[in-house]
Amino acid sequence: MNIDKFYDSIKACRFCFMCRHLSGVGNVTFREADTPRIRAAMLYGVTLDNSKLANADFIDTIYSSDLSAACRFHCVNSFDENGMVLAARRDIVEAGLAPADVLALAETSKSIDAKPKISGNGETLYYIDSCTASAASEYKAFDKIMKKAGVKYRVAKGGNTGKILETLGFAADSAQKAAEFADAVNKSGAKTIVVSNPAAYDSLANDFKARGVKLIPKVMHASEFLLQLKVKFAKKAGKIYYLESDFLKNYNSNLKFPRELLRKLGAEAAEFGTNSEESYTCGEGAVVLDKLRPNIVEKMAKYVEERADNPNADKIVVASPYTKIQLSKNSKLKVYTLTELAAACI
Amino acid sequence: MSLPKDNYMFEMIRTELMDAVGSDYVNTGDSDKFGHSIDYYWIPEMWHDRGRETKKPDFVVHPGSAEEVAKVLKIANQYKIPVVTWGGGSGSQGGALPVFGGIVLDTKRMNKVLKIDEESLTVTAETGIIARHLEWHVNKRGYSTMHLPASIACATIGGFLAHRGTGVLSTKWGKIEDMVMSLEVVTPNGEIINTLPVPRHASGPDMTMMFLGSEGTLGVITKVTLKIHPIPEARKFRAYLFKDFHTAMSAGADLMRSRLRPCAVRLYDETETLTHVKKVFGMDIGTGAYLVFGFDGKEKIVDLEMEYAREIMEKKYKGRDLGSKGGDLWWENKYKFFYPGYMFHIPQAFGTLDTVADFAHIEKVYWAMKKAGNENFPQARFIGHFSHWYEWGCMLYARFIFEGKDVPQDADKAAELYNRVWDVAIREAIANGGVINEHHGVGLKLGRYMKDLYKNSFPILQGIKKTLDPNNIMNPGKLGL
Repeated sequence: MNIDKFYDSIKACRFCFMCRHLSGVGNVTFREADTPRIRAAMLYGVTLDNSKLANADFIDTIYSSDLSAACRFHCVNSFDENGMVLAARRDIVEAGLAPADVLALAETSKSIDAKPKISGNGETLYYIDSCTASAASEYKAFDKIMKKAGVKYRVAKGGNTGKILETLGFAADSAQKAAEFADAVNKSGAKTIVVSNPAAYDSLANDFKARGVKLIPKVMHASEFLLQLKVKFAKKAGKIYYLESDFLKNYNSNLKFPRELLRKLGAEAAEFGTNSEESYTCGEGAVVLDKLRPNIVEKMAKYVEERADNPNADKIVVASPYTKIQLSKNSKLKVYTLTELAAACI
Repeated sequence: MSLPKDNYMFEMIRTELMDAVGSDYVNTGDSDKFGHSIDYYWIPEMWHDRGRETKKPDFVVHPGSAEEVAKVLKIANQYKIPVVTWGGGSGSQGGALPVFGGIVLDTKRMNKVLKIDEESLTVTAETGIIARHLEWHVNKRGYSTMHLPASIACATIGGFLAHRGTGVLSTKWGKIEDMVMSLEVVTPNGEIINTLPVPRHASGPDMTMMFLGSEGTLGVITKVTLKIHPIPEARKFRAYLFKDFHTAMSAGADLMRSRLRPCAVRLYDETETLTHVKKVFGMDIGTGAYLVFGFDGKEKIVDLEMEYAREIMEKKYKGRDLGSKGGDLWWENKYKFFYPGYMFHIPQAFGTLDTVADFAHIEKVYWAMKKAGNENFPQARFIGHFSHWYEWGCMLYARFIFEGKDVPQDADKAAELYNRVWDVAIREAIANGGVINEHHGVGLKLGRYMKDLYKNSFPILQGIKKTLDPNNIMNPGKLGL
């Protein structure tokens, strides 16, 4: 089974309480089941008796995880509960046990052509994945900055990196999409591929490598790319609250570039809420938690709103278009992405 | 209890519970029931490890207020269903295990900080809040509860109140019972009561203290007002290595008798100094007994206290000064031991023989427990450190560890071995003037020793229980009640 590769983490996490306070879903459902400890203990039971994998309630719990990886980032020994849950999802799918809502999402994703439509000229390719595509202000902001910088670039729109399929446990389908996506991008001759969505960044930077898919262009998150542009940001961003991205911080240990960009924009970053350890992304790590568990995502957004100093006035900045969409939809917070903030400072 | 789901009474009771707390907050799924069947007690962990079914509740309910708790308790009384209050599930004594099924009343939905009173320096909160979240909340305003135990990330404030928890700064700032101003409690019959608003009075026996440590057997604590303190200007530590445990204990006791006010004192015996200090703190200091202490508050006062403390350590007891770095490393790594990779883990069998005694008895307790352990269980290791120090004595954090090869694979035999260790060690502790225990609580694990401990005063506890909870629905099987 796929979870066997995570046996050490299963055994370590099943009786550990050290990251309980960071359970993004557990903190809004109050369920013990929605914590790393209990998910690990459940999966230990599966290692003893594989038939337990078929328990519909266990499967439901495994697909309710927000996969923020806040626990792994926090853990002094980096035990990988996140990886364990993803492996369990692969086992569920391979055993033909995926629930109907998961299957429906996977079928939709499978039907999307992996190859993006590429247009324009330039060595830089800006990839507008499906999430970024649904946040028009994001890619318009990127375009505004590029025009100001006088940099020509190409746009890759649509396509499918396989990230959704990967997250849902459809590893083989995900790998196939990744290979087709990479083929199209490699043929474009681009030297750099820039993405706004941290989920897409993680897919290109890590998932592809893990699947043995070669991507020729250098992968950059927009925050890193914008930092190196010679653009004068005339207006100061002022006081903001920055919410870290699961994929940038917890998956890629990238705390540096978003914060450097904020400094370049003249932002005075205040600490949001009471701490910098909790994930406030509304399920960014699970990529499609809003589709699978909209009621949980709504509660997570309210949880974030309740922690704002002034929910009606605070300027909240996020790295992820997904998080912006969820917070804008389910709370009264005023949310901007890093790219939008940068464009507003021109 | 343990009603089969196809029994229509199950549905009748579930409907009533949903009416009380809302349909989203009554769970009967396998994941939820499993999640409330294992806490941090070794026996259920081992049971699960061996593939045995852990005892599960019939219903998991998440009330959102004291009024909803009251409704649940009235339903439970009507049908005589056991109610086990559950906070974060980090208890090591099995105190929150639903051993007779019934209702697990999970308090975490009651997680609001209701008020910070900056005039009286108190915080009022619902008791389902995770302690780390409460601490972060008051930190943002420049305060601290000063309650910083290793379980802070998981345990709720209610859990600490229920079993009289303690934190690493207990020596100066007290245990949880020293921090409480007042409580709101839902009694077993569903009455919502409040204890007196201040902890110092001469208005009869202290009802707040009666509920603290009652482990869910006398009611459900739903709200608490706690003292808070300005975050200290300075907190400084220093460590010493002494030639042996006895010298280190004498130095520590002298420090407490001096009436200086350290915020923390910790002493590791020779065995723990060799292993724990090196592995967890990264210090290779040689043989002897490691003693660390610290002071906090205004920096000038901290420095002065430290100067006096150093005199005791160096002039009188000839301790080898490990400097402030030797102390800071302890503080920085104070929780590290509890992470997997450092903490003991199954297949090992391990436990903390938490015992407290005055300075006149504490060494006797230590040696008696160690001797009894070594003689009866030569295959096990017995180690110890002394964690929480007071003007009159301290707490012995004795540990036993069996390596996996020495633990029966059969779950029943493993549990039998485990229980025998406790029988031997705890009886030695009590016989030598020790009290079980200082902060882990009693729960399921130690309930059978309560009569030995309380002797002829135990019927008074039984009488209180019977008066408040005549149907014995509240956490049956715990505290020896």
